[in-house]
Amino acid sequence: MRGWKPAPHVLLLLPAFIVLAAVVVVPLLLSLYSSFTPFRLTRPDSIYTFIGFRNYERILTDKDFWIAFGRTVLLLTFALNLEMVLGLVLALLVEKATRGQRILRTIMMFPMMFSPVLVGFQFKFMFNDNIGIVNNALQSLGLTDQAIPWLIDGQLAFIAILVAEIWSSTAVFAIFILAGLMAMPREPLEAAKVDGCTPLQSFRYVTWPFVMPFAFIAMTIRSLDIARAYDIVKIMTDGGPAGRTEILWTMIARTAYSDARMGLANAMSYIAILLSILFTAMFFRQLAKARQQIGAEW
Amino acid sequence: MNKLLAGVSAGVLALVAGNAALAQDLPGKFDGVTIDAKLIGGQQYENLYSRIAEWEAATGAKVNVISKKNHFDLDKEIKSDIAVGAVNWCVGSNHSSFAPQYPGIYTDLNALLPADEIGAYVDANIAASTLDGKLVLLPRAQFDVSAMYYQKSLYADEDNKARFKEAYGYDLTPPDTLQQWSDQAKFFSNPPDFYGTQYAGKEEAINGRFYEILRAEGGEYLDADGRPAFNSEAGVRALSWFVDLYNAKAVPAGTTNYLWDDLGQGFASGTIALNLDWPGWAGFFNDPGASKVAGDVGVVAPPKGSSGARTGWSGHHGFSVTENCANKDAAASLVWFLTNEDSQKLEAAAGPLPTRDAVWEWVISEAEGDAYRQEVLKAFQEAANGAYPVPQSPSWIEISNAVYPKLQAAILGDMTAQEALDEAAAEATEILEDAGEL
Repeated sequence: MRGWKPAPHVLLLLPAFIVLAAVVVVPLLLSLYSSFTPFRLTRPDSIYTFIGFRNYERILTDKDFWIAFGRTVLLLTFALNLEMVLGLVLALLVEKATRGQRILRTIMMFPMMFSPVLVGFQFKFMFNDNIGIVNNALQSLGLTDQAIPWLIDGQLAFIAILVAEIWSSTAVFAIFILAGLMAMPREPLEAAKVDGCTPLQSFRYVTWPFVMPFAFIAMTIRSLDIARAYDIVKIMTDGGPAGRTEILWTMIARTAYSDARMGLANAMSYIAILLSILFTAMFFRQLAKARQQIGAEW
Repeated sequence: MNKLLAGVSAGVLALVAGNAALAQDLPGKFDGVTIDAKLIGGQQYENLYSRIAEWEAATGAKVNVISKKNHFDLDKEIKSDIAVGAVNWCVGSNHSSFAPQYPGIYTDLNALLPADEIGAYVDANIAASTLDGKLVLLPRAQFDVSAMYYQKSLYADEDNKARFKEAYGYDLTPPDTLQQWSDQAKFFSNPPDFYGTQYAGKEEAINGRFYEILRAEGGEYLDADGRPAFNSEAGVRALSWFVDLYNAKAVPAGTTNYLWDDLGQGFASGTIALNLDWPGWAGFFNDPGASKVAGDVGVVAPPKGSSGARTGWSGHHGFSVTENCANKDAAASLVWFLTNEDSQKLEAAAGPLPTRDAVWEWVISEAEGDAYRQEVLKAFQEAANGAYPVPQSPSWIEISNAVYPKLQAAILGDMTAQEALDEAAAEATEILEDAGEL
């Protein structure tokens, strides 16, 4: 009997497909399915109760969810832009260094080596209104005689979280942009100089277009990171007080594990994923455009 | 009477099961048995686990620690195990505040251990470990209830005494009531350099503090039918107590974001006069290397509310045996061993409070000659007498997560106390209805 014989390339790819299906596709489908159930971790049977779009309806009409969603977008936007500007400045400064560049590069990466939980604790104590170094410094310098409630006021807490995020991750941008600067051919810059360009013009029309693709790659990676920002916010404010710093992932994690309502949390996650996809698609489009502009072949 | 009934039922069950260990058998012989355990990890909990080897040597059994995590991570792991039907281990660390969340996975230890052994633990702790008549965890010497720490020199200062008497009409002594606590906190405050008091204003912490002040004020969190009842007059009084201190700037502005570590560091920095806090901090506060108030720390029992009862929100760690365990006797023996007199002495010697009557007597006698330690123990023993656990609802943590943002909103002035409590009660009711508890 001659059975069906798959082509060799299908056979060879099959193990990879099976592994991918087992570790990615199946959990994804299962979590998608559970978002249509009232699944509670402590009541395993609840996964068999199908409730249609009830979780989604609940979320879509929940004001708190949309406020957290908006705040997450805001955090993403501010953090990414500020990190890129600061990363660019850092990279340009380090690139100018004629000696000790390697040491500078290593030092620049230090913040990336700390776990986000540690960074969260560090900044929580720094921004503590009573015993924190920030208020103590401001009071000692005579800039204020008040205890500024950094982690209480919604806007100030947002700034405090932003500072922690930026401190820990600006180096990602700096490293990518520095790589771009180091890979950049010297000739266009020299030609610009000969043509009488000012340093600002050289940067605007020669250097920046060249490093832009690198910046967009860093942006794509970081946008996914921040869209999943959890640890730092969890430690610093846990979304509080009174929900003033709630972002999607503190809300989802609390719903999923602390409240054990995994079905509802999965529905929230699927909506949150849309946000990540949106940002990634946007950056990839920008990346393609930037590459076209410099005629990159990669 | 309860103890007697527990004893009788334990005896009956022991006969039915036919395999319960007897007092003289403990820890028993279990050659070739391996017990898989999930334990709470962390520096203060590890010392006890050195005794596992002694239990192994005595019984011939083996303990296989398959997981060691902090309580919150362990909680997630256990919930995941329940979800996927993977509760295939025998012994798990547990906590009186978390236990109601794991319905049905833990077995009744009354049926596995002799009644006189169970009778050796503090009654209040056994009551807090019993859910629907099942003793689901055996308490270890990691018992927590709060007492009032204060800076002694503030109360010895003649100028303070005179000014306070003039302003409030009574003598300045460490607070015995919520009203006195509030008066004195306002009196001592001098923001932003010094604050009268502070409270943990975040997550379960603020809800727990609200719960105990509510009870001290004569209110109840859930009524006899399990329905949220905290939006009562007593509830408004309790929440207003927090709001009033916040508005008077008698607490740091960041207090609604504080958890226990912030409180501990705050009091140790010398910028806080009064601090209702856990026993674990007693050593730290009086350690000159860590605390600016070392040598100046006094401790009294927690304050009374208008009902005359003291605040007494408490919790304790313990160990449980799963229903799925194939060797329940061996597991129960291990759990007993880790909470027996010697084990509790080992843990209590490092500071944590015991949960056995005999070990309480022992720690107090050990503190002879150490005035500070004796003061601490006296205050906490009084606190322990009036201690009670959180309401034993499987939805407690979920209710807590819904209520605490509302309490914070009232404290920060986003809504009134009554509005906050009404909204919180509505959400809590919905949670209980969703969970089928109402």
